[in-house]
Amino acid sequence: MDLYQFTEGIVSWLVGIVNWLLNWLGFHGLAGWLGSPDVIKFLTLLGESIVLLAVGFIVAITMIWQERKTLGRLMDRRGAMVVGPAGYFQNIADGLKTLLKEYIIPEKADKTPYNWAPVIMIGSSILLLVAIPLSDRFYMTDLDIGLLFIFAVFSITPFAILLGGWASNNKYSLIGGMRSAAQLISYEIPLLLSMVGVVLLAGSLNVGEIVMAQENSVWFIIPQFIGFIVFMIAIVAEVERIPFDLPEAEAELVEGWWTEYGGMRFGLLMLAEYFRGYAGAAVAVLLFLGGWNGPFLPPELWFLIKVFIVFFVFIWLRGSLTRVRIDQILNIGWKRLLPLAMVNIVIAVAIKTLGWI
Amino acid sequence: MAEKTKKGKKRTPKLSCYVFRPMYATLKETVRATVHRPDTVLYPWEKLELPDNYRGRPGLVIERCIGCGICMRICPTGCIELVEVEDEQHGKMRRPQMNIGRCMMCGYCAEYCPKNAMIVTPEYELAAYTRQDLIYDPFELQHEYKPGYEVSIVEVLPSELKRGVGEKEPGREGKDRPELSDAKCIGCARCAKICPAFAVEMIQVGVSDKGKPIKRPKFDFSKCVGCEQCVENCPRDALTMKEVL
Repeated sequence: MDLYQFTEGIVSWLVGIVNWLLNWLGFHGLAGWLGSPDVIKFLTLLGESIVLLAVGFIVAITMIWQERKTLGRLMDRRGAMVVGPAGYFQNIADGLKTLLKEYIIPEKADKTPYNWAPVIMIGSSILLLVAIPLSDRFYMTDLDIGLLFIFAVFSITPFAILLGGWASNNKYSLIGGMRSAAQLISYEIPLLLSMVGVVLLAGSLNVGEIVMAQENSVWFIIPQFIGFIVFMIAIVAEVERIPFDLPEAEAELVEGWWTEYGGMRFGLLMLAEYFRGYAGAAVAVLLFLGGWNGPFLPPELWFLIKVFIVFFVFIWLRGSLTRVRIDQILNIGWKRLLPLAMVNIVIAVAIKTLGWI
Repeated sequence: MAEKTKKGKKRTPKLSCYVFRPMYATLKETVRATVHRPDTVLYPWEKLELPDNYRGRPGLVIERCIGCGICMRICPTGCIELVEVEDEQHGKMRRPQMNIGRCMMCGYCAEYCPKNAMIVTPEYELAAYTRQDLIYDPFELQHEYKPGYEVSIVEVLPSELKRGVGEKEPGREGKDRPELSDAKCIGCARCAKICPAFAVEMIQVGVSDKGKPIKRPKFDFSKCVGCEQCVENCPRDALTMKEVL
């Protein structure tokens, strides 16, 4: 039973109750319309997306909590610890706090793009969740070009950042937005090239089939180790975390391109950041770490455990490394990662040609 | 960025310097902080262990206090004031009241107290809701005495330390003493009334022309604490403090 059938069962049961009620009240036409297969399909998709959003939300909240605790341990502190068990509900408390804040629009801001940039950012971040399957039964869509879709949606974000940075009419946010655009051209190509090796070995862009290929042979981290390293560096740049958090360099630009955003938009942007962190870690798991494969535990749990382990690496990098300059990230992207990604493709082609996998 | 090696060659830091070494260091720290506990102390619930000679707010042992006012005189921030209080046990008395908000916890009052009535306590949580709450009257200022709370000035010379003589408290003989100039004195006995240490005694030294006795104060320097109250209260300025050399 997969997620669709499960949700359909629940939706049919609910619709059955409502239909009985409507029939009892005498609205037979409305009951018939509600019971038609198209309406049920629509409601099922709606319910499915709500489930997926809830999963993404819980994972993102847990990631923020994980980051606070782990970063605390990295710095010999305790991290959040008062609200809820081990400080788990601190994030929810912070969310409520941002919800209560006034939403201020700067007087000289360009209103329309200023209001729409976070919508694009948050929307694209949530859209990412659609293409990420938690297991072979827990997924929303089974796209044949799933990987391409994920990275296409990933690449929308710098546009939103540039838009928001420009519309804020503030020097810090403008510099942040420009940096995001400059960063995009340095990491995007090595990222996609490091992915090519995996696609070659699996012979498909479908995420599910890539995981199946790893289940049948070995996890692609073993033949594609160089690719994994390149991918990890590039995905850290993609989700804009330290050491590549140039658009929101807290020490240099106040809060980068978010400087002028306040209230719940700030909170949602923060959440979107972690949605993207989840998506980035999930893609790393799907491509290199065998996806949801693992003994004993249910596959969804295995997938999430691996995601949290990859995210721990992100936190570790954040705790130990310094922020790179904009020229340094260009050097890293073009002079180091690009050749390494090429070497990785050669290795992948050799393995595929010799028929080892 | 460039560091000099022993041979004087300049070298630029490599990848290991700014990527691998910090990552190793932080991972080590994480493991250490996860296996043991982090160094943070959960303050309101857990408290740091205080050192033995910690100087928190000053406290008063009201039975020992004689109300000499040396603490008031020595206080650098001027937060001590002698006030008249009444108690069933002791009757009317003058005892120090303290503005804790001004106190800088130097412990001078405890150091200079001749009777060790002022002590330093390990209390440091002194926040209050109003400024009025910060003014501690003598009864609020009271604190349970434990050995080690008193502070005393110790005198020792470096040369004596070498000879093996330990630290010692200065005796009464080295302190300033009130001195009477006989011509000004009118024999009013106010010094004898005011003296908190009962060190002044009025003694008849002769008879006046009208046949009345002439009295002069006599100081018992083993009892005198050098509080200068007699000097301050003398109506004819007949008393002065004399430095003992």
